[in-house]
Order: sequence, then structure tokens, then C-alpha cells
Amino acid sequence: MPVRFLKNASELADVSWETPLPVQVTNAKPVPADTLLVATTFVTTDANRDLLGSAATELPTLDGCMQYRKLVWFYFRAGADSTNYRVLARATDHNGAPLGAGWQELATGTLPGNANSWNRIEIPSTGDGYYDQYRIEVQRTAGSNYLLTSKIVGVR
Amino acid sequence: MTPKVCLVVREFGAFNRAWTQILRNLGIDYTLCTAIGNTTGANIQTPQGVFAAGSPDLRNYFRQFDAVILCEHSSNLNDTSRINYSVFWMSWNDLEDPAFLFFNPHFSAAITESAYNSNFPSDFPIVRPDPSDIAGALYAADGGSAASFSPLAATITGGRGACILFLAENIRAHVMTICNTHTDNIPYYWRLDTAKHSTLASTTYTHRVARNGRAGEILAVPAPPSSSEDTETYPNDCVIAYRYRNCFWLPNAISRRQDVANPNNPFLFWLLYGLQLAVVRPRYKLPVQVETDHPLAALLPDAPFNHAITTQLGILEASWDYMRDFARHKNTAIVNGVTVGTKYRSIGSRFHWHLLYSTSRTQAERDAAMRVHQILVAGHREGTTPCGVHDHTIGGGRGYWAAATNTGFVRHNGLRYGAPNDVPIARGRCCVAPHVLPAGVAGADAQTVQVGDTELVEWDIPTSGTGTTFDLPMGSIHAARIIIESEIEEMLALGFPDGYCAGHKYTNTASNNSGGECYWQALKEFGFRGVRSGTACGAGTKRVTPNRYWNGFHLVEEMPLDIYSAVTAGYSWGLYHPSAPSGGDAVRFLNLDHSSDISSGWTTNPALAWRAYRRVLCMATGRWLGTTAVTLGGAYFHPIECLVPAAPNRVMERFDGWGILNAANQPHYNHVVELLENMDAVVRLLPEYLYWGTITDVMDHRERVMGG
Repeated sequence: MPVRFLKNASELADVSWETPLPVQVTNAKPVPADTLLVATTFVTTDANRDLLGSAATELPTLDGCMQYRKLVWFYFRAGADSTNYRVLARATDHNGAPLGAGWQELATGTLPGNANSWNRIEIPSTGDGYYDQYRIEVQRTAGSNYLLTSKIVGVR
Repeated sequence: MTPKVCLVVREFGAFNRAWTQILRNLGIDYTLCTAIGNTTGANIQTPQGVFAAGSPDLRNYFRQFDAVILCEHSSNLNDTSRINYSVFWMSWNDLEDPAFLFFNPHFSAAITESAYNSNFPSDFPIVRPDPSDIAGALYAADGGSAASFSPLAATITGGRGACILFLAENIRAHVMTICNTHTDNIPYYWRLDTAKHSTLASTTYTHRVARNGRAGEILAVPAPPSSSEDTETYPNDCVIAYRYRNCFWLPNAISRRQDVANPNNPFLFWLLYGLQLAVVRPRYKLPVQVETDHPLAALLPDAPFNHAITTQLGILEASWDYMRDFARHKNTAIVNGVTVGTKYRSIGSRFHWHLLYSTSRTQAERDAAMRVHQILVAGHREGTTPCGVHDHTIGGGRGYWAAATNTGFVRHNGLRYGAPNDVPIARGRCCVAPHVLPAGVAGADAQTVQVGDTELVEWDIPTSGTGTTFDLPMGSIHAARIIIESEIEEMLALGFPDGYCAGHKYTNTASNNSGGECYWQALKEFGFRGVRSGTACGAGTKRVTPNRYWNGFHLVEEMPLDIYSAVTAGYSWGLYHPSAPSGGDAVRFLNLDHSSDISSGWTTNPALAWRAYRRVLCMATGRWLGTTAVTLGGAYFHPIECLVPAAPNRVMERFDGWGILNAANQPHYNHVVELLENMDAVVRLLPEYLYWGTITDVMDHRERVMGG
């Protein structure tokens, strides 16, 4: 006699590998941070390329981020070649439409770190974020192309 | 018993995250261990300490796992070390030892390390690759031509492979396959020492992974040709996959590169097959399903086929009859995005409504279209070919919110948002959260709007008036509601009972533009559970949410299985056609003409059609498996654009080289039949890992394994 349970409020399902019994985890603490992006970017001299490789300047790298007080950008750069970066942000209306064209620049400068180094940048560097959209661009200004591997964590 | 494997990796700087994503999707627990070095002297860093590679401590540590997987490989046979530390493990063959899975292993004769060579099992039956005598040690595969890049680097194009015969299962399947490669960029298969194999095959061996109870077992070989035209054969001692005691010698599985978990891993069949051979029982199987865009459409009767509209629809009818039958027998559902909008917003003469009802079509054309349509409607009702909305009439032809304003938008009649109702068409000038809205401030037209977690009261809202045609700003929930309701109204008028693939509550969006939050919210209001979506999802200002799961709404990643470039060609000229435009045939589109080894002799060497056939099926199946196993996405193709290379009088024939010609006097090829049957062979090969499922199964599984 199979063990059955009520699935999706209306469907009786047999317990199986595919449909395990629903359980509630006790003593679990809410995780205040989410991984939002893991990306490998080939850093070139192309202007306005974001971490996802897009040069469409109105396209966000991350969307739907209003719940995050801060983003933390961890990256590992395979090359030390001189690179500029820009962190842009903006708010949208409740439909998801940007309030206007363009971006607010939160940070810009030379990307820190040597070849094969780990680095960390907080976005924004001071205060809170709560922006809906972020665009993060990298552009090599000297040397050779290299790989930049990024992880961005959203902190509530 | 919890399935658990150990991954051994040398460098995280070249570690492909697809390894771990697939294991997570399968519910297989894993532990990552790091090899500190390449040689036999390398230590292995484990969570329980650092052990010498050949130590009893490491052997005991490994015994807690179902399988140990070597993630490293080389594309240079001259390398003197890569996984030399693993040589000891080839002799850990007791019942308590785990299975060892070697994918594209580096065991070259160029390895000079004495500890490696002295510990390499003397009875191992595969000839070690020798870079100074490649022809004597390996078999050049897949035509033996060089690619312009390492063949291991193939992602969604540039594949190499073969039709493989799996001996125990007695199943033939086309899968991306490279046993070893070298700096010459040629794929190679292995040469068997038949004397050693014969000894092993007659030696009794007991281990849970030795299904035939013998110490050696040939698992897979190149399948013999099915046609005398196909002269690409391999000697009898050529092997693709081998079990040596509890060690599995398998082709490449995952490319060795720093990468995120994406579907660009077309070799991963071998990982799934290896895990199944190692009797690693996953918690979950992965659902296999496929979608189409524009199940009923037609092309202009252009070169090279010059098919009349009725001929095209005849090809579609036969193919849809087959697909409906396939879905019924395999218990899957082929989801279809029906091109809607043309009832009100005509953009040409080749889409669903127009083909059925336009008086500019002949009665014969309308009748032929109706026969296809009736298959789809019947299949929708029975669950085999569920259909949903897919609207290319908006956003400049690119779907939801693909333009800031849809100039001259034509809406439907009746229902809630149709003419002559005066309805909101854009966001209100003022929008205030209800809990901070002072009394008496909101205008008389105020209404509450909820998008996701945000609820606002809007007023001063632009409205449509009573007319049918107006310029529609696309970026608001009001626009989304009008558009989606008009699409569903058309689906109902077409005879479908709903617009969201029946119980699946899903559709695939036009141009993979899902619009953004306001469209997702509106789709939820109309009962949708998810849609297929590209990452850039509308208006050039939108991206899907980072986890592709928005307030309980799925944004399923896309993977095209087409055999033509929609940008440069518009439809397929077949497997290959000498006069096709750029990207106009499967070989060109998928970058499969390595060293011109298809194009250069196409008209004189009939075997090259078979080579093209093999590579196309390997590549397309690899794409499909990548999205099935890594991203839990939606693979799809455009039926008529991929089916015009089929011979109209022999639509359902399987590929037979130059034995069956199409209307362009080129080899007949039915992408639907070939693709589905090849994937079915793969599913039958992997019963512990794959099953024919539906998009509902995919969304259920995403909820099961996805992080928050």
C-alpha cells in the first residue's frame, strides 16, 4: 500500500523519489544574503561592456534588486592588465520601467587587484542601495585580454 | 542510501561549475577534493585531511562514496603529467572500493614519471596514446579532420561526435564524443589491446558495477554504418568506452574551463552515462521535453525548395501527426507557442490565424492549414501538443515590451480590456502606496495596482477611449493586460480552451521576450505559472530576475535547436547546401564544417552527407541535454523552418543519404523525426537519469532544487 500525501492542495501523490514527502525544516535561520550572479567575463578594450558581455548601455546587469541593502562584488582576476570599471544604478517604477534613461554612477575607477588575485567591492561603498537595477562595466585600458570571474551577493 | 560522489579537481581556475550544478539537479551529494599537483606525488586535499594519492588513508576515505570522478583532462598528449596521481586508484579494485570515473583521461605514453608507469596496471587493455605514434595508438575520429579550435571547446556549435553502439543495451545513439585529443585539434577514439581484453573478459570479477561479472567489458564502440554510402568505418579494435574492473574509461564529459553553470556543455551525456554505470542512484530523474515556436506557419515558396503553401502544410501535417503520436507514446507533451495577434494585428500572411481564415489564401491552403490546426487542438485537449500564446505582432515583431511604444496597436473586441471599453493603457501620473496615501488626495480614477510585492494606488491614468486602434506604451501592467487578454481571446476563437498550454499554465514567449515585472504579474493574473525567457527580456532595459524565479513565476531559460540562422537565412536549406546563404544550412549554422571536410566534397563524396547528419544530430542533442541537465530550461525549434528540407512525398522517411532526395535534389532530412528519435535513444540509455516529461515536470523540479 503506497503512502500518499496531499500535493498542491488538490492532488494526491504517492511518496516516491520524484515526489518526496513535504517537510518543514525546524530551527532554520533565514539567510540574509543571496547569490545574484556568477559570471566569467573576458575583459577587453571594448567600451561599455558589462559583466555579462553586453554593450547595450541601457541593459542592466542585474534587475529586481530593490530588496537588497547592499551588493558585494567578489571577483578573481586572471590578469593584472589595467582595467577601468563603473558601477551604475537606477530605480524603476513598480512596472519595472526605469524612471528615465541613463544611470546614476555609484563608483568608477581602476579595478583593484593583481593577476590571480581575489578582490571585493561593496556596492554602494557607503550607505544603502535599494536600487532596482545595476549595471557593472569593465574595460581594459592596457595590456592583454584576461578572464574576470565575478560573484555578486545581495545582502538584505 | 544517499547518493554521494567525490569530485577530484586540480585547479578551480579551470573548473567548470556545470559539474556541480548537474549533481545538484540530480540530488546527488558531492564532495570536492583538490589534487595538490599533477604527479604521483600529489597530495589530495579532502575535508577530512590531506592524504597522499596512493595512501591507504585516501583509499579508506574514498570508500564512503559511490563514485570518484576525475574532473581534469588534457588536450595535449605531450603533457607528462595531468592526473598521474590517479594511477594508484586503478588498482583499488576491491568490493569496498568505489567506482572510478575517468572522462577523457590523460594516460599518454609521454608520461615519463616512473612511479606512474610502474603502477599503471600491466593488464590494462586500452593502448596508451603515444604522441610520437598517434596513428599506431589511436584512431582519428569523425573524419579525422582538424577543427580550427580544440574540439573539447565546443559549446553550442562546432561539435564532433559519432553514432555510438552501446553494446549491453544494444542501442545506437548520436552523442558528442571525443575520447582524447591533441594539439592537432583532431578527435580520437581508443585502440583496444584485444589480447588483454580477452583475458579480462574471461576473468571473473565481483563488484557492484561489474554488471557482467567480468573484469573487463567493452561498453561502447562506433556503430557500424547503416548504409553502404557511409564509408566512415572504424576497425574492430576501436573502442569508445570501457570498464576495467571498477574503473570506467569514458569520453570527455565536461569541458575543462572556468565557467558558470550554463547549458553550453554538449558532452555531458557521458557524465550521466558514467554515473549510471557506477550505480549512483540519483534522488531525482531529469524531465526531458521539447517545445516549438509557430507550430502552424508557412514560408514564401522560395529557393531552393520552392514548396507551394499546400506542400509546406502537408509536411507540417505529417510531422505533427508524428509528434502527437510520439508524445502520446512517450508520455511527454510538446509545448507550442502559437503565433497569435494576427486576428487583429496582421503582420504578414504566413501565421496561424491568417492561414486558417484569410480570404487571400486559397480554399485548398486554408483546408491544409485546418488539418494541421485540428491536430494541434486535439493534441492540446489530450495533453500531447499543448499550445500557448506567442505574439510577434507587438513590439516591432519581437514580443512583450520589445519597444517602448507599440505605434498603431490594434486591440481585440469585448471581454474586459477590449473595445469599446475605456481602459487604462499606461501607468498613472501619480502612484502612492495605500498605507501612506492621505485621504482625499487620489483622483476619481484611482485604482490599486499590484506588481510583485509592490501595491500602489494610481490616478491620472491615460486610457484607451472607446476606439480599437491607439499608440500603446508597452511598459506597464495595463498594457500587458490588454495584450495578453487579446492573445487569449484569439486562442479561444481558434478553438483552444485556454492560452496557456492547458494544465501546464506556461507558454514560450515571442523572441524570448518575457517583458519584465509588469508582464509577469499580468501573466500570473491570467493564470500562467511561467514562460520561456531570454535573459535580456524586453525594451532593452530589462533583465530577468537573478534566480529566474519571480514571486512564484518561472522564467525558463531558452535553448534553440534550429538548423538555420533566423538572422541571415530565415529557414533551413537542409543539412548542407552548396548555395545556401550564410547560416542557411545546419552545417554552416552549427559550425560543423571542420577543415572544410563536408563542403569540399559534398557533390562528389556521398559519405559526407552522413558525416553532416551525424554531426548535426550530435550537436543538437548535446544542446538539448545541456539545457535539460544544467539549466532546467526549455529547448525549442521552429517546425516549418526546419522541415522544408524534408522530401514532400516521403516526409516521414528516416535519413538515407542520397537515397532519398528532397525538392532541391539534396538529401532528405526530417529534423523532427531524427531529433526526437535520437533523444529517445538517449533517454532509453539513461533510464535512471532521464525520463520523458513535461514543462510542468521541469517547473516542479526547478522548485525542488533551486535556491531561494
